[in-house]
Amino acid sequence: MGMLIRLELSKWFHLSSVRFSLVLLVLLPAMWAYAPGIFDVYGVFLVSGYQVPALSLLSGMEFLFPLLVAIIAAELLGSEIAFGTLRATLLRPVSRAQWLLAKVLVATLMPFFVVFFVLAVSIIAGLFLGFGPFVGGTGLGAGGLAGQGVTTAAAASSEVLRAYAIAAFSLVPVSLLALLLTTVFMNAASGALATLGLLIVSSLFVVFPWLSSYLLTTQLNAYQFPFHELTTPLILIAVYAILFAVVAVFVFERKDF
Amino acid sequence: MPEPAIETVNLFKQYRGRPVVRDLSFTVRPGEVYALVGPNGAGKTTVIRLVSGLAYPSGGEVRLLGGDPHADGSVRAGLGAMVEAPAAFYPYLSGRGNLQLQARLAGGVAEERISEVLELMELGAASERKVAVYSLGMRQRLGVAAAIMNDPDVLILDEPASGMDPLSLHLVHRVLRESASRGTAVLISTHHLEEVVSYCSRVGIMEAGVLIDEVDLRKRGSRYRARVSDVHAAVAALQVQPFVSEAFSRDKELVFTLSDVERLGYVSVVLGSNGIGLFELTPDVFNLRAYYYERMARSGGRTAQAAQPGVPG
Repeated sequence: MGMLIRLELSKWFHLSSVRFSLVLLVLLPAMWAYAPGIFDVYGVFLVSGYQVPALSLLSGMEFLFPLLVAIIAAELLGSEIAFGTLRATLLRPVSRAQWLLAKVLVATLMPFFVVFFVLAVSIIAGLFLGFGPFVGGTGLGAGGLAGQGVTTAAAASSEVLRAYAIAAFSLVPVSLLALLLTTVFMNAASGALATLGLLIVSSLFVVFPWLSSYLLTTQLNAYQFPFHELTTPLILIAVYAILFAVVAVFVFERKDF
Repeated sequence: MPEPAIETVNLFKQYRGRPVVRDLSFTVRPGEVYALVGPNGAGKTTVIRLVSGLAYPSGGEVRLLGGDPHADGSVRAGLGAMVEAPAAFYPYLSGRGNLQLQARLAGGVAEERISEVLELMELGAASERKVAVYSLGMRQRLGVAAAIMNDPDVLILDEPASGMDPLSLHLVHRVLRESASRGTAVLISTHHLEEVVSYCSRVGIMEAGVLIDEVDLRKRGSRYRARVSDVHAAVAALQVQPFVSEAFSRDKELVFTLSDVERLGYVSVVLGSNGIGLFELTPDVFNLRAYYYERMARSGGRTAQAAQPGVPG
């Protein structure tokens, strides 16, 4: 299994979607840090380097991160189908379930890579603003960017790290849903588009209040939830992730290739 | 006789209610080269995918090296296969890089063996180049190299000759013959009917998902035809000989098959002792193409109308 995971990781950086995503993910923090019209357009005045990762996360989680995560996850399997290497691999003495599980593990790690890559670039982009104590908020805690007085460096970094970790975790089901749908459609574009379609439709279900808190799209905002309200969302995210992974393996096991 | 390395029993496959392989039973034993021939859409590729464990049968049985390739993935350790035409590889890796990756999936193949098969398939000089720049023929040869690098007990190749020039084709035929001579059971699908006769043991002719005929080319190889003074007397004289498996007349000629080719010289002795004059004796070269067209015409399927002797296939 370890060998399969290493093989999958070695293929990762050859994917065109990963390379394209890296370019976009560099642009996003740079835009927030250096955009001259940011105050005029958004009424935001940045006073600390910690606010750059916060703005990157808030804007990225709206659409860009789920989009890129879905595309990359779909291409993890879709590229094998497009190259024709899927059959060549399955002819080797490797169980289908193990091979797809290796993909599942890589698809689980990938949102963390995407999100923490943005964090790393955001920190670099925010260097010129400094990372000391500041008056205001990170944008990820109480009071938003205005904050509630002085925010210490420790409090700010804790807020940012926590938000990034939860955001990455909440993207795992999106990644696994894209992998699942690619096993169904056997096509990366269809898998990614179906994932985004389902997310968009799912977000409309907020009109049913009893359903709203259980929706996958609701959990994508978990990084903004107060600490004491996180238990249920984290459990739901894990349930969605496990469900999608199990169904993906089940579907893949029974496919004709 | 060794146990079959590949065995299908009443194999049946349907997609969305449409049968694509029906009641198909055949075996391939170690050392045999078995060719599946038939028109496009006959079900050859489906059979290859069913046998190699890529697709699940809707009915019947598949045994690969004594095991079920669908239930027990470990039987694929003895399998070498190329089921895509052209052979599929990661375009961003070199030829050698692709083989190294597959070698890890195969449970490990020595670097020396990888170099050896690359040289064997005349890809040594191109081994460090990315597969993206390989020609179709080079990809096919790399596919064969990948299939044989683990010295498989069963070699399955779907259209190995696709896109190959005559020299590459000759190379692949040599590799298949050598693999079989070492005891590998070889199953291929092909449209190259002339070449099949030179290196295959048996040929299965498929039409519309059904194996309509099976030809044992080894028996055909020891068949002769002769011009004699009295054909009927010659047939009668040879039919009783223990080293003759069959004797019959065809177009006023004597045709016979020897069960022991070493006894060919005795034929003239037998005919002479019966007062039958022998004017000409030649090997009865089997014309698979003509036989194939005749068989297609007899099957009465869609391809029967197109099956005309002399039409290139």
